[in-house]
Amino acid sequence: MRNYLTFALLFSLALSSCIKDELLNTECDIVSAWVEGEQYASNFYHPSQMHLDNISSAEKEIVFSVRSLISLPKKLPVNFTITEGATIQPASGSEQDFTQGPVTYVVTSEDGEWKREYKVTFKEATMPTYKFSFETYETLEWESNFYHNFYEISQSGQRLNMWASGNPGAVLIKLGTKPEDQPTYSTPDGYAGRGVCLNTQGTGEIGQTFGKPIAAGNLFMGRFIFDNVLSQPLKATEFGYAMDREPVRVTGYYKYKPGPVFTDKNMNTFPNRTDEASIYAVFYRNVDSEGNKVFLYGDDVLTSPYIVKKAEVAALPPTDEWTRFEMFFEGQNADDELVKNLGYNLALVFSSSKEGASFEGAIGSTLYIDEVEVSFELPDND
Amino acid sequence: MKKIIICLAGSLLLASNAFAFEPSDKKIDVIVRAGYSIGGTAPLGIPATIRSIDAFRPTASLMVGADVKLALKDNWGLMTGLHFENKGMDAKVTTKGYRMEVVKGDSRIEGLFTGHVKQEVTEWMLTLPVLATYQLGEKVTIKAGPYVSVLLYKDFSGIASDGYLRQSNPTGPRINMGDKEGEWATYDFSDDMRSVQMGIAVGADWNVTRHFGLAADLSWGLTGIFGSDFKTVEQTLYPIYGTISAYWKF
Repeated sequence: MRNYLTFALLFSLALSSCIKDELLNTECDIVSAWVEGEQYASNFYHPSQMHLDNISSAEKEIVFSVRSLISLPKKLPVNFTITEGATIQPASGSEQDFTQGPVTYVVTSEDGEWKREYKVTFKEATMPTYKFSFETYETLEWESNFYHNFYEISQSGQRLNMWASGNPGAVLIKLGTKPEDQPTYSTPDGYAGRGVCLNTQGTGEIGQTFGKPIAAGNLFMGRFIFDNVLSQPLKATEFGYAMDREPVRVTGYYKYKPGPVFTDKNMNTFPNRTDEASIYAVFYRNVDSEGNKVFLYGDDVLTSPYIVKKAEVAALPPTDEWTRFEMFFEGQNADDELVKNLGYNLALVFSSSKEGASFEGAIGSTLYIDEVEVSFELPDND
Repeated sequence: MKKIIICLAGSLLLASNAFAFEPSDKKIDVIVRAGYSIGGTAPLGIPATIRSIDAFRPTASLMVGADVKLALKDNWGLMTGLHFENKGMDAKVTTKGYRMEVVKGDSRIEGLFTGHVKQEVTEWMLTLPVLATYQLGEKVTIKAGPYVSVLLYKDFSGIASDGYLRQSNPTGPRINMGDKEGEWATYDFSDDMRSVQMGIAVGADWNVTRHFGLAADLSWGLTGIFGSDFKTVEQTLYPIYGTISAYWKF
């Protein structure tokens, strides 16, 4: 028995080696940013715009949208919530001049080993041209994997990051290294100039592990919240971009070819089902009754009570030729005063698999889109 | 590797020392044994990135085997045999910035995980010990020496949940992991495990009656359970198991 005791002792020594002291935090994120004070409220379209919460970990730029830069005070304090123990320079709440362009903040982790740089910008809310030709895009890189990111040039010549796609997620699970390997990319074969190609892809074994075996090619107005991509992909697509006019109609051109085998989220095949593309738009109130910001996500983009009107292309029959599509908004009318004050968001959404959000579709389904136009008045006679 | 060589050399020395004596009258004993093992596959020293061990459950680990014991002169002897055994455990730990990798086929996501990790290890193996024995009086034999195990089945897999992975480093994109299937990450490094393990075993046999006895053994792996080119799991994990067994000596 004594032997056993000795062994038991040895064991506990080996296995319960003490838990070491906690290391200092290594992260250095800005989690939220806000401007505080009644005196600044008039610079914003709505008090809710003074708060930027839920800043994605992939973000490097923090943008406050204001009415005008000219009337913006030269000294303005921006407050930040950062990772516990981290420090920020210039200090949170210190007065900075944002009228001359972005101010760079550096967050240093508690252990002093890691730093992140953020550019904080105040931008006049300028509107796009509403004619989307998809000629402007950039190639981004993450760990030697490349993908395209579309943006617009505003009426006053500024860059607008209004388009998002699931590409950052595709790059994460390494569907491929070239932009053309990703679900959403710019193609030289547009209807006029370049266009967008969206294609549904298999997500490999990692995607299957997470019960998300396919990724539809998508392009939407809004923001892709990288943090949620694997755990809650429906919360990764944040739809909506503030608009100062009430849309009536959307037109554009498309080509579509459904993939050969329709599958569900468990990769069961359905020989009688054919994949469909989807093009729709929703116009919704972007502030709730308590004055908080409202965004729509993958799980409520078509059902949210904040939707005022929506438009959907009824059918997108497969075609190899560029084919015109048209959809009209249906629903209530928006409040004109609220429209002028950017009280509504527009979300225009394109997907190569209609049920892609529930991971149903056919790998290989390909949707091309180009020359999309949002109109604000009914056409006279057409 | 150096450690193994030293250990092997040491035990051979011990054994050859035993062989140097003339065999005694009492020839060879054949012993069959069955037992229950308890232990873990753990780093020597828990890294600071593991903040707490929330649950530890050695899985039912069984051992059956047969040994032959050759008695040599002056209480010395030599024991060898073949044991079929299983070494397993389940552990739940809370991590902070623990380096890990989710690998599936061609896809891999590597980074620092903060959250809960549920780890399962199962190994079924055939073990060949080569032990020097020393007789302490009538009833007790102590034994020590190296062993070699050949793995017949190996599993090292787990779940990372309730937290997030920072891809590559603490400033990389944050990937949240939920608390249910489909929202958490699973990993499986079974194929990266070594097929052959080596280590040292020490123990004692206690003859309760002439034929029946009880034994306690400790086996300490000197090779990590993964090959040295496997970098995903930060620390080298060693199998360290104790076995309580009953035996029958013919």
